[in-house]
Amino acid sequence: MSADAFLFWFLAIVTLVSGLSVVLLSNPIYSALSLAMTMVGISALFVTLNAYFIAGVQLIVYAGAVMVLFVMVIMLFDLKTDLQAFTRGKFTGAVKIASVGLLAGLVVGAIAMSVGLLTEKTTDNIVTTGAGMESTKALGMALFNKYIFGFEALGILLLVIAVGAVALARSKGGTHEH
Amino acid sequence: MNTDFINNIGLTHYLVLAALLFVMGMAGVLLRRNVIVLLMSVELMLNSVNLTFVAFSKYLGLIDGHIMVFFVMTIAAAEAAVGLALAVSIFKRFNEVNIRFFEHLKG
Repeated sequence: MSADAFLFWFLAIVTLVSGLSVVLLSNPIYSALSLAMTMVGISALFVTLNAYFIAGVQLIVYAGAVMVLFVMVIMLFDLKTDLQAFTRGKFTGAVKIASVGLLAGLVVGAIAMSVGLLTEKTTDNIVTTGAGMESTKALGMALFNKYIFGFEALGILLLVIAVGAVALARSKGGTHEH
Repeated sequence: MNTDFINNIGLTHYLVLAALLFVMGMAGVLLRRNVIVLLMSVELMLNSVNLTFVAFSKYLGLIDGHIMVFFVMTIAAAEAAVGLALAVSIFKRFNEVNIRFFEHLKG
């Protein structure tokens, strides 16, 4: 097995296991830490795809900022371990069966492909070749030329979000106090 | 045994990985009770989509997928901020972050 392939399989397993533990662990703080691990794994997968800038942003924004926000809120609430972590609604059984079915189907499909039952050409090796560091420059050029309107819209959105989050967190249970 | 699948990492590998992560996030959103874990599952789904974007971007040789990842990340951060603010205001009122208490948001 080549180094690239080994790296991919290692990162895929780490990401999948930590992703599963986000959903399955009943203590929210463990879920948050697993999610941080998933973010780091995905960031490393971005590096294997030569998306260096995106990998850095992923680490800073997700693993840094967003996860700190989640952990801070969990600590603020002082949540106990939830013994009944899963809902018991009308469709819970169906959702469980569907999720397990989808997961199992994907795994079986992947295994079948590896044994050669599904003949799919997987020689499109996308890991090793690539642009390199110029991709950051290309990203900036595209962002400020082709997608400048979206970029400006995101700026306005962030302002609205900041004001909205403050307004939501300040109002006490929906009733304004004057 | 066809060892091509193990040794040559192609687009399919990344797509299957992203699909698995997406299903995990979907199951989390539909099954968990804790609103914070629910938001984390949404982040998981958004991340899997980002992985798909970058993989296709590499496969097609286009930079546009990276821009989309940029946008998705911004939206995800914004969504986390608003979602957690909602959770804080629900917690202040009911002292609980169970999804059941969000039914009071129905008009």
